[in-house]
This record gives sequence, C-alpha cells and structure tokens, in this order.
Amino acid sequence: MIKFDQVTKRYPGSDEVLKNVSLNIEAGEFVLVTGHSGAGKSTLLKLIAAIERPTSGTVLVANQNISKLKSSVIPYMRRRFGLVFQDHKLLYDRNCFQNVILPLHINGINGVDAARRVRAALDKVGLLHKEKAMPITLSGGEQQRLAIARAVVSRPSILIADEPTGNLDASYAADIMAIFNDFNQVGVTVITATHDVQGMAKLTNRILHLSNGELQSKSSTS
Amino acid sequence: MSIFLSHHVQAIKLVVMRMHHNKLATFMISLVIGAALCLPSLFYIGVNNLSKLTNHMQNETEISLFVKLDANAKTLDSIAQILAKNEAIQEFHLVTKDQAWEKLKSQSDNNSETNGAINELTKNPLPDAFFIQAKSADPVALEALRVELQSISGVDQALLNAEWAKRLSTLLALSKKIIGLISLLLALALMVIIGNTVRMQILTQKDEIEVSNLMGATTSFIRVPFLYAGMLYGAFGGLLAILIIVSVLQIFNDSIAQISNRYSSDFSLSLFNGPLFLTIIAAAIFIGWLGSYLAVSRAITSFKLN
Repeated sequence: MIKFDQVTKRYPGSDEVLKNVSLNIEAGEFVLVTGHSGAGKSTLLKLIAAIERPTSGTVLVANQNISKLKSSVIPYMRRRFGLVFQDHKLLYDRNCFQNVILPLHINGINGVDAARRVRAALDKVGLLHKEKAMPITLSGGEQQRLAIARAVVSRPSILIADEPTGNLDASYAADIMAIFNDFNQVGVTVITATHDVQGMAKLTNRILHLSNGELQSKSSTS
Repeated sequence: MSIFLSHHVQAIKLVVMRMHHNKLATFMISLVIGAALCLPSLFYIGVNNLSKLTNHMQNETEISLFVKLDANAKTLDSIAQILAKNEAIQEFHLVTKDQAWEKLKSQSDNNSETNGAINELTKNPLPDAFFIQAKSADPVALEALRVELQSISGVDQALLNAEWAKRLSTLLALSKKIIGLISLLLALALMVIIGNTVRMQILTQKDEIEVSNLMGATTSFIRVPFLYAGMLYGAFGGLLAILIIVSVLQIFNDSIAQISNRYSSDFSLSLFNGPLFLTIIAAAIFIGWLGSYLAVSRAITSFKLN
C-alpha cells in the first residue's frame, strides 16, 4: 500500500529531516509513528499524504510514485487520505455539519446523500447532537472528534493523523484512539504520529520509531 | 456534468451568502466599480450627443457665395460660367434672391416673432447666392477655393459654411481617443480594485483554501467561488453605473431641453441606451472575472503545498 525506498527529505536551509527511510505499510495496518518532536514524524506523514515531495528516494502510495505525480493529479491522490491534524484545522466560520460536508463537496457529492453521510460520520464520533453548533463552542476533545468525522466522511482508505491526541487529556485521548481502532477494524489503514507511546501501544499492531530522522526499529506488539 | 453543475451552484450559493452577510462591504466595492465605470461612459455619451448635434449642421464641403445686391442677371450668368469651369467644384446651384425670400417667408410663417419683423420689410434684403459643393473635403483646399471664389468680380462674400462645425468634429474625434484612453486606464484601475478586493477575501478565507487543498480540492474548485464573486461585484457595479448615468442624464436633460427650446430644436439626451448599458455590464463582469482570476491564481500559487 505504502512503500518508502531510501527516502531523504531536506527542507531548504535545514539539515536532513528524514534520512534514508525505507518502510512498507500494508493495507489495513494500524501503524504508530513515534519519536521526539523534531524527529521527523510530521514530515513522514506529509510525504505519505503527498503534501511534501521527497528530496531523494521514492514514495509509492497504491503503486503511484508521489514524487513524480503531476500537480494536476495530486488533488485526486489526496482524496484517498483522511487527514487529522494536531491543530484540527477546522473552519470556524461555519457549523459542524458544514465543516464535515466540505470533503464531500470536494469529491462532488451533494444533496441528500451527502447529508446522510455527514450525519453518519458525526454519529460515529458522538457529535450528532452538535451538528448545528459552531466549532468554537466545542471542547478540545470534541473539536478533534469533529476533525476526525471530517477526515473519514469521504470514506478514505488511509487515515493519517498527526498527533491527534497531543493537546488532550488521557481519557479524551483514549476515546480518540478507540475511534481509530474502530475504523481500522473495518479495513481502513491508520497511520498515527504520537510522542505518547505508553497510552497508545496496546492498540497498535506496529510502531515505527523515528530518532533524528532515522527509522530505529520496527516492532510488533501483538 | 451534474457534478460540474452542482459545484457551480454550490459556489454561487456560497458567494451570495457571503455577500449577504457583508452587505455594506459589497455595496462599497460595487459603488467604486460603478463610479469608475461612470466616468468614461458619461464622457462617451456627451461626445456622442455632441457629434449627433453637429452632424446635421455640418455640410462637409459647402461654400456659400453671396453675390452683391446690385448684381443683375448678366453678372449671375458670368459667375455661373466661371464656377462651371472651376475644376475643384463638384457641383453648384443658384438660389436667387426671390427664391430665398419666399423660403424665408414660408419658414417664418409658424414663428410669430420673426413673422412680424419680416412682414414689416417692404423690400427683399437678401442677395442672390450660389451654393457650391467642392470636390475635396480637405480644409486647406476648401480654404484656397473659398479665397479664389471670393475674388470673382460681383461676389460680395464667400463663406465656408461648416468651418466651426468642422473644428468641433475634429475636437470630438480627439475626445473619442481620449475617452478610449481613459476607459483603458479605468479598466486597469478596476481590475486592480477588484483583484485587491478578492485578494483580501482570499486572506480571510486562507484557512478554507488551505484545508480544501489538503483534502484534495482541485485548483478550479478553489477558484470558482472567487471568480463568481468577482463577476458579481462587476455586475452590481455595472448596474450602479447605469443608475448613476441615468440620474446624471436626467439632471442634465432639464437644462438641455431649455437650451434647445431657445434654438427651436427638440434635441435632448436619450436616457436609455441599450447597447451602451449592455457594454458597461459586460465590461464590468469581464473585468471582475479577470481581476479575481489574477488574484486567486496568485494566492493559490503562494499556498501551493507541493
């Protein structure tokens, strides 16, 4: 599904953020990317999601070489992913329902079908009763759940979450990991970056540990 | 196709909703566009009406040759012969003093003021006159011909009829060029204004563009709402411009009606000018579209995340 072959990433004016990373993620896996801040977790996720291109090496997603994709094709590639960010990136000028429907509009899904899917996604994260609420009125955990609803509403095959629990206390974080686990159960590939290995490890199949841009080990906990 | 259509409908809905929320700002932008469009349009209408007015006064190449009052039939005959030989003359015709007198009388029949004065005259004060069409319309050649004709014996005065009208029409031609130039400059200014407005809107919707981009929105998906916004600003601006123009014309028309009455003419400015109004709206919409297109393209390039 996702294959890195000797991938190096360097931003202009910085050292190598990722060094010679090679990895392979199969469809349906639940992968945790761990490491200290600055270890290159976010960059790894951005490379998968076609937000950044590698400086050298190849990134293959569903057998397509990300670094060679034309910019006009990249939007369609990105629709395979559901993205969840640490800072949610919600749109605060519209209510919860309208936030979640945006990816569907981008995919050209409108009308009754779209509304039904938005409600299903909101229901899944336990926010169905808040569809008319503005995001700013939600708690941190609720906002993150809203962001997850938005990420999964278009039924992506890969869910990528960058520190989704970073700003949340333990019980909220557990909620969110449970939701991710549910998606993984129905076949969605889940890739999550986190620095909190302890809280997460029991849920995951696999941990990718990054240290200073290098992949340290691939361990299996189950 | 239906996806394409629904995307556009969504975009229009979104834009209309946003404009509805920011009525005052939308009105101000439209007003700026409208006022800017007004200037060249009013100028154009003014010049257009002036040239209409001069067109029927101006008989491009006519010279009037007034014969001395004491001239007899023989003198007229000899002048006619000289004119017939002149190469520069296309054609000429004689209006005798009697014909002119009759014409003047019949013309003044329905004008009580002049009628009284004319009836008091016992003797015909008018001279015989030749009206000459020159071959050339060139002002210099015409002037040379006029001087030549002036020197024929028995001729009292040779007049180039349309001299002032001709000068005016030259000025009008110049004015039309100036209008063209001003319109061009104002179009540029409008494009900058609309582009800037859209750019500001893009800044307030930076998050939306970024998030849409991350979720796989195509450039055109992001661009379309802004293009509609620009076109709507243009359309509203065009309508406002027409409203302003009609009001201004209405104000001027009262005074113009008074003036033309004095000259016993029924000249007035026409309020409705379909082609011009269509042009204004079409130009405004196009400029709005272009301004937004440039602004949004620039913004998208700077947001490019690849």
